[in-house]
Amino acid sequence: MNKLNHEGLLVLEQPFIKVPLEQLKKSARTSQRQLDKEFSNLSRGINDLAVKSKQEEIRTKDVTDALEEMVGRLQKLKRKLNDIKEEESMYVSRSRIRLEHLNELTKIPTANVEAYAQWSRTRLDRILVDYMLREGLSRTAEKLAKEDINPKQYVDVELFSQSKRVEQALQKHSCSTLEFNLRLQEYIELVRSRRTSEAIVYSRKYLTPWSETHMKEIQQALGLLAFPSNTNCQPYKKLYDTSRWEQLIRQFRSDNFALNSLTSQPLLSVTLQAGLSALKTPMCYQPENRNINCPVCSADTLGNLAENLPLSHHVNSTIVCRLSGEIMDEDNAPMALPNGYVYSHKALSDMAAKNNGKVQCPRTGDVFDVSQLKKVFIS
Amino acid sequence: MEPLLRENEIVANTQAALASHSVESVDKIINALKESIDHISASPENTSETLSLLSRHIKEISTQTIEEHKEYQAVLAKYGKVIDKKWRHDVTLASNPDAFEGKDKILQKTIALHFICQGKFDLGRTFMREAGLEISSELQAQFVKMYEILKAIREYNLEPALIWARAERERLEKRGSSLEFQLHRLHFIQHLRDQYLDESLRYAQLNFQYFNTQHFREIRRLMGSLAYINRLESSPYADLLSTEGWTNIQNTFATDFCSLLGFSRESPLFISVTVGATALPWLIKMSTIMKEKKNEWSQQNELPVEVPLTDDMRYHSIFACPVSKEQATEENPPMMMPCGHVICKESLNKLSKGQSSRFKCPYCPNESIPTQAMRTELKEVKIFDNYKSNCLRIFWFCISVSCVEAYKMQNIQHGYNGCTVCLLDG
Repeated sequence: MNKLNHEGLLVLEQPFIKVPLEQLKKSARTSQRQLDKEFSNLSRGINDLAVKSKQEEIRTKDVTDALEEMVGRLQKLKRKLNDIKEEESMYVSRSRIRLEHLNELTKIPTANVEAYAQWSRTRLDRILVDYMLREGLSRTAEKLAKEDINPKQYVDVELFSQSKRVEQALQKHSCSTLEFNLRLQEYIELVRSRRTSEAIVYSRKYLTPWSETHMKEIQQALGLLAFPSNTNCQPYKKLYDTSRWEQLIRQFRSDNFALNSLTSQPLLSVTLQAGLSALKTPMCYQPENRNINCPVCSADTLGNLAENLPLSHHVNSTIVCRLSGEIMDEDNAPMALPNGYVYSHKALSDMAAKNNGKVQCPRTGDVFDVSQLKKVFIS
Repeated sequence: MEPLLRENEIVANTQAALASHSVESVDKIINALKESIDHISASPENTSETLSLLSRHIKEISTQTIEEHKEYQAVLAKYGKVIDKKWRHDVTLASNPDAFEGKDKILQKTIALHFICQGKFDLGRTFMREAGLEISSELQAQFVKMYEILKAIREYNLEPALIWARAERERLEKRGSSLEFQLHRLHFIQHLRDQYLDESLRYAQLNFQYFNTQHFREIRRLMGSLAYINRLESSPYADLLSTEGWTNIQNTFATDFCSLLGFSRESPLFISVTVGATALPWLIKMSTIMKEKKNEWSQQNELPVEVPLTDDMRYHSIFACPVSKEQATEENPPMMMPCGHVICKESLNKLSKGQSSRFKCPYCPNESIPTQAMRTELKEVKIFDNYKSNCLRIFWFCISVSCVEAYKMQNIQHGYNGCTVCLLDG
């Protein structure tokens, strides 16, 4: 039961490995584009010169000047390549460090060793940084990353910086409708405030370029001019609905996350849901059965979060010792006190060893001698 | 992990080679350009020849460089494929995006408490300010105090811990904690280690008396060690010098401190996320199956699979019906038949075929009618009030319910006198 299922634990780590790869791919594309552009400019320029000099239309001085200029451009390209090289090797080493971190986990045999607790703590910190960045709590994220996460390569703090987010999603507008939707929203806001002529100018300028793919929406948008903002007529009522803004934000978010191979939901919410469900029992919501160590039993925090989640599933019964929190089974048999309460053998004998051979029932406060305990069998 | 690491190394090597190579190529082109400039300046009559030669030369280098770049991108793509092969499923497959809808503040409060309980007060403050959150400063002050006392213990200063334990003596005792005595014991050992005989004696006389009834044996042993105060290491009391006591006392103290505040020592957020990481693969596997059947686990009342938990993460006693293997619920409560065996109500109905006629218990030869079965509650782990019977073999569920009820019921309904399991008289 304590053996670690490494393959299973790694399921969560997809973005951890994939994000740096996306960065590498991106910078490879950039440098490829740069090279393509510069090289073709270069050969075009030289061919031009060759043709011109053949026809003797150009002075030697102009040829050498043109060539000098090309040298200048290439030196600039060289500097750019060096920058990209540096960035790339950073992402390569980030990938490496992350893979090795995952590899460390596969060498931890069981869950009950300190190494696993340590690894899990780092995992929680990584998950928390991801959450903070998504929620825009960048100061906390940076502080947490700086103080608790070592090495730095475990988190993608820079990926989230606000301006970059928007830029990237918008650059990719060919595969997303985000830009059109933003334009449409701006247009709707103009109509809402009855700045009709402005709205028409706007639509001509920004909406019509999309007519090939979004004709129907554009027609609807112009139809909007005929309706006031409190209309009940569909689909115009829907267009005026302010919840469209939230939809936009959602769309922007998911576009941005997908672009960078991040999961659509924060990893914190994904793992918490799974964990709380696996821990949740009906007892967690019965005050008299509350266990202080059970996360779901904390009614005003995790218990509240777990409210709408499914309960855990069990096919076998379990008896937990109220003293030690340990499971009672053949190896740690339940022992009955004369007052009828039952606790585990280990917990009671530990107590007896410390207490002169006496045990005290934590529920009633009664004190008994250890010889009065009776073993109870489970069948 | 092996194929990934291998592929990653290929990426690293290719990238390093390519990066320096493309810079070299650009250098080569620059040199070619410079040479051509010299040539043209020296012999302007050959300009067009020089230029076409240069053009061919550049073409060669640039084609090769672009080719190498494409190869590098292919290597990246291959690495991407190995990653995709390892991670076939979307991590969010098993999660409900709206599970915590409208509960942002509660989630953030949980995180803030996590930081505070871990002693990361600065981080907690930054977070609360940024998220616009408030946690009672009194609670924070308590945790600050706990970490101050822990720090003192690490520096072998037990005074602050003792003062706290003395002040909380009653509440600690009620919890069955022997923290205060353990602290005194350690303090005494400190004097012992320093070989201060008078000091040790005085300390014992002053402090041990209160604990005499509860910890008589341990105190006797501690006093016995005084006889060996000069050569404790080679005495039967050498174990007293072990440093383990100092780590243990920190754990005991922190656990007791947190529990008086109503908190667990381990962060609940940490436990939940750790369990979540273990549970996730099970749930993803299940939801791939359930997706085909158009079911969503997150909308069900209960998970479709049992997620294996380590023993220390099982916090509650659970009754699963031995017949249907289902967990008891409010609608499907555990029912005890007159023989003492317990099964779920639904199983009971199935066994009796919904009739009121007699049916046989699946675990013993006893027969009963469904109306005789009694609803039981899994509330108290308790057995007979007056447990005089010599019967040591009871059904596990009797441990969990008040068996007096069961006992009475048997007597009344059947005139039994004694335990139905071992057939001994009560």
